[in-house]
Amino acid sequence: MDAKLKETILNPIFKGNPITVLVLGICSSLAVTVTMKGALVMTLSVIVVCGISSLILSLLRNTIPGRVRIIVQLVVVAMMVILVDQVLKSFEATYAIDKQLSVYIGLIITNCIVMGRIEAFALGNKPWPSFLDGVANGAGYGIILIIVAFFRELLGSGTLFGFDILNRFGYIPNNLVILPPFALILLGCIVWVQRSIQKDLQEK
Amino acid sequence: MNTNSNVYTVIYTTVIVVVVAALLAFVSQSLKGKQEANEKADTISQMLTAAQFGTKADFQKIGNTAVLAKYAEEIEQAFTVNIDGEKMQDLPLDRVFSPKELKRQNYNIKGGPNKTGEPELPVFIFKNGTTVVPIYGAGLWGPIWGYIAFEKGSNTIQGAYFDHESETAGLGAKIKDDPAFQAEFIGEKADFDKANVFEIVKGGAPKDASGKSLVDNEIDAITGATMTSQGLDAAIDTWLSSYAKYFQGNVSGEKHCGKCKHEGEKAEECETTKCEEE
Repeated sequence: MDAKLKETILNPIFKGNPITVLVLGICSSLAVTVTMKGALVMTLSVIVVCGISSLILSLLRNTIPGRVRIIVQLVVVAMMVILVDQVLKSFEATYAIDKQLSVYIGLIITNCIVMGRIEAFALGNKPWPSFLDGVANGAGYGIILIIVAFFRELLGSGTLFGFDILNRFGYIPNNLVILPPFALILLGCIVWVQRSIQKDLQEK
Repeated sequence: MNTNSNVYTVIYTTVIVVVVAALLAFVSQSLKGKQEANEKADTISQMLTAAQFGTKADFQKIGNTAVLAKYAEEIEQAFTVNIDGEKMQDLPLDRVFSPKELKRQNYNIKGGPNKTGEPELPVFIFKNGTTVVPIYGAGLWGPIWGYIAFEKGSNTIQGAYFDHESETAGLGAKIKDDPAFQAEFIGEKADFDKANVFEIVKGGAPKDASGKSLVDNEIDAITGATMTSQGLDAAIDTWLSSYAKYFQGNVSGEKHCGKCKHEGEKAEECETTKCEEE
């Protein structure tokens, strides 16, 4: 694998993470991180939507009329989001989680990461790198989601993936952790940690 | 080719929209059956939860097939009644009312331009005598609905389960997620003689010095979810008062055959006159 492709994959995971560095997709990362299950399903959905929309639009990139390119992007992304939602609703295992995530699956369409990566990357690159860029950005988003959800479910419900971890030791779940503001506090901490490791992100 | 010409742009967008629409329509149609099966199992597990056959989490664990089997095992009769409490028609025992159908009946109860006919209100009676009826109404952000179970031939609430489309997580969503809120309904009574059949109020029912509740049809609302609590209160009042005549007959044993039913007697044979004779 050549260096450029590797950079495409690795950059969004840490150095150019969409949430902590680009500060995109904050809204849903506060909303769907109450449970690990929700965060995981959301992560997979965003990876699928981001990857495949990037792939499709990269394939179409030379045919899209410049003046309506945002609309064409929107149509493709919306299609992917509806497909993911329909598929989640159809399986017994994911039906309840889809209901719990309710509007947030549909709102993937407004997730700036998806359209942002298409506009910035997929429209100017070949399909394969575009697909990897979409997947990697989805994954970079998902990693933060899962880290936040780990702490929120562990401290807020005393469980992980619904399995009792802390409650058996007499832990009393902290309700503050369940509320969205705590997700913002956690996100702040993650940004803090990242900036102290990655000095070049710090403003002079 | 000039991709910026007007003709190209119009044709391009038309083609892409038509292709996407056709694909989505196809996927939606082919997955519809599965989605409806999931929704039905979900609705049934809500009714079973209201009737205290288990918790919602239990039913989620055992899966759709087991939920349907449990329901088939427990249900005795299902029928619709009209606003006067008279039985309209028997329903197949595996028939449930989806939120969409409840919405239609909600329009029929409330009247207005969306009314499509006389209300047909479903009643589900389990083998142990528990009667389950649905409620439907508006929360803060979207519809809320649920099921209230009554003890055999009585206006005492045995249990309740509520669901919603998009109430605020951690606040209004508690009508669904907080078992303690649903547990508040247990043992309360629906007062079918009043317009406010049931009340969800700040602070709950007034209590006497010993802490005993003075009113038996009031419970405490959810803190921070005033609009959802009021919406639920209104939904319960609207629906339960539509069932009032049915339950009044049922509770006092005058009109309906709930009280004077004989062993093995079929529902059709059980007429008003027969009850009066006794």
